Amino acid sequence: MWIAAFLIPIGFIFGVYLTIFAFTTLVERKALGRIQNRYGPNRVGPFGILQPMADGLKILLKEDIVPRAADKFSHFLAPVLIVVPGLLVYLVVPVAPGMVAVDLKIGVLFALAVGTVSVIALFMAGWASRNKFSLLGAMRAVAQVVSYEVPTVMAGVAVIMAAGTLSTLTIVERQGGGILNISNWYVFRPWGLVGFVLFVIGGLAESARCPFDLPEAESELIGGYHTEYSGFKFALFQMGEYLAGMAMAGVTVTLFLGGYMGPGSGPGLVGGVIAMLWFFSKLAGMIMLNIWIRGTWPRLRVDQLMGFAWKVLLPLALVNIVAIGFWHFLTPRPLAWVVTTGWLAIWVVVLTKCNAGAALEKREYRFT
Amino acid sequence: MNFAFWIISAVTVLGALLAVTLRNLVHCVLALILFFIGIAAHYFLLRADFLGTVQILIYVGAVAVLILFAIMLTHNVTGTEGPREVLGLKWWSGAAIAAVLAILLKKAILSDPLATLLPAGDKAQTSVAEIGKVLVAGWVVPLEAIAVLLTAALIGAVVIALEEIRKSR
Repeated sequence: MWIAAFLIPIGFIFGVYLTIFAFTTLVERKALGRIQNRYGPNRVGPFGILQPMADGLKILLKEDIVPRAADKFSHFLAPVLIVVPGLLVYLVVPVAPGMVAVDLKIGVLFALAVGTVSVIALFMAGWASRNKFSLLGAMRAVAQVVSYEVPTVMAGVAVIMAAGTLSTLTIVERQGGGILNISNWYVFRPWGLVGFVLFVIGGLAESARCPFDLPEAESELIGGYHTEYSGFKFALFQMGEYLAGMAMAGVTVTLFLGGYMGPGSGPGLVGGVIAMLWFFSKLAGMIMLNIWIRGTWPRLRVDQLMGFAWKVLLPLALVNIVAIGFWHFLTPRPLAWVVTTGWLAIWVVVLTKCNAGAALEKREYRFT
Repeated sequence: MNFAFWIISAVTVLGALLAVTLRNLVHCVLALILFFIGIAAHYFLLRADFLGTVQILIYVGAVAVLILFAIMLTHNVTGTEGPREVLGLKWWSGAAIAAVLAILLKKAILSDPLATLLPAGDKAQTSVAEIGKVLVAGWVVPLEAIAVLLTAALIGAVVIALEEIRKSR
């Protein structure tokens, strides 16, 4: 019995999220293809549906090359470690009423803390390869993740303050009720909208996805920290990256988009199935948003990346925490709406004005 | 419980030993991370889940990364070092610092034996709320003092960095 309670969530997480990962790679390639006015993979099976299996087989058969100068142990361990944090986050993401692998009292904190461990694996990969490009990529990854961790956690703090709990399950339950189980989602609050935007940006940066994919910028760094990896180890890096991105999407859905809440979701079998459908639809929506952003946005420069984190996102996150204080203590709800919206709007304008120069700074390249 | 305790303890001690015995500086940090995670696992075992998570967030996510950064800023990027002097000046100064620390901590360690820590068990479930209450009620002055100290350190770091920039121009 105890073993079953232990194994079922693990089986669920491995089965469901790894399947989603496999097909996300296909959907991403298809969607990017459409954005770039081409078809994308369409040869393996009907509409290219079997492409992930073909990719997996191909990557298993590839040669595994380890550079002679590489630090063998770290080089081997890094791709193994990179997958772990992404998988651990799913432990606290609820998919249906009462359906969460571990209902930790500090679920949100756990998700945020575990997510930051991946940076160690990235560093190990870049450092162990004994390659300038790998090391540069690793340093970029570390700097980026450490910087964006701060506003992301701060954006999460606003939700924790609003819900008055750190448990993911309770946070989702607090977002139920209202009109059609929708109107109480935190994203439909002034502070929630700001927090949502902050969290999505921070999530993209932490999982090093476009437009924050500087650590593996192909055009400057060949492939960043995974330059010296081939075969299945490379696949593990891809997997870790996608799993982390999906995990951040899952946490975003839980914190801001009402988790499994939606019209029809509730306790019982039917309500539970509907709730699960809602959760995975929202997750798919967030994944599609990530793909859309990847297909349409250029990559940032390093100085822009750092400036954006410290000069725009962090002040906005701190202001947002004050906003949630207003929201909590101003008694008539309409007054709270007006004050919070006004407060946030003022600061958005101020921050935009202050950073107007930095955003559109012209840069000259001279080749002499 | 006991079984898990021994496994985690073995891993933690192994990490600590590797951190001080390995030759390569970066390997030492990685061993230190293993040790940090072992400590976090111990907190989880004692049901101090908040403490365990914060241990991972602060020590693994921030402190270890800072140490790695510090190594990367030196010339010794690859982490390889020559033969280490044993029983040299550095060794003795390290041993002296460790001895002073042990004397200072002796009272705390002896007055708070592990036996009183172990049975904390199930009642530690609401740790976050309790910690919050204690922090803003009884220990608000030390908390604020630490906050001011950290702010001063932050401003100091910025001032130092500004001087460096001014010099380079």
